[in-house]
Amino acid sequence: MKNSLRDLRAERNWSQGDLAEKLGVSRQSVNAIETGKFDPSLPLAFRLARLFKLPIEVIFSEK
Amino acid sequence: MALFCRKNLTPLQRRTMGLVSAAILLTIVTNLTIPGLPNPLADVFPGLARLTATNAHSLIVLAAALSAVSLLPILLAVWAAARYLKAEPDEFIRAIVVRALLWGFAITMAGNTVAGVLMNLYSRPFPLAILNADLFFISTGFALRIIQWSYR
Repeated sequence: MKNSLRDLRAERNWSQGDLAEKLGVSRQSVNAIETGKFDPSLPLAFRLARLFKLPIEVIFSEK
Repeated sequence: MALFCRKNLTPLQRRTMGLVSAAILLTIVTNLTIPGLPNPLADVFPGLARLTATNAHSLIVLAAALSAVSLLPILLAVWAAARYLKAEPDEFIRAIVVRALLWGFAITMAGNTVAGVLMNLYSRPFPLAILNADLFFISTGFALRIIQWSYR
């Protein structure tokens, strides 16, 4: 699964720690998702979509 | 790597580490009750050596109690892990802890198999109670560190 989390985060000048705090997860989780090593669950994907005010398919796409 | 460093622990992780530490201490205590194994406490308290060396073989009830006690650290550790996994809100951390536990179980079973073959080959008993609990704790801890490292 590919994602544009890093770009979206950079647009908002958020650090990985900032995003992790907003999502209620660890910074390591954000890093693992950003690097594509870990695919988030549907509830976490929805939380990300709500946070960035974007549809899920804009943030995540198939490789 | 810093995920489970003491200063970064959440209160839930701190409580779980406390329970796992208690299980490790309990393992050490139960290991010391196994007859015929090196026991530094027996050097300090010679009476303890007599109790574990002679009575455990002769008294079936005491032997059964000691064998049941050796189960406690494993049960406590599994309960602590289950409780932690149920309460941990971070799904990524849950995933790596589950993977580390699976590695811990796998290595413990592999160790048991090797010990079983060695026991059959040499017709000698092996301290399996020590092997099971200690191998589980050590291999799970190492697996957790290696998995964390792989996500850096």
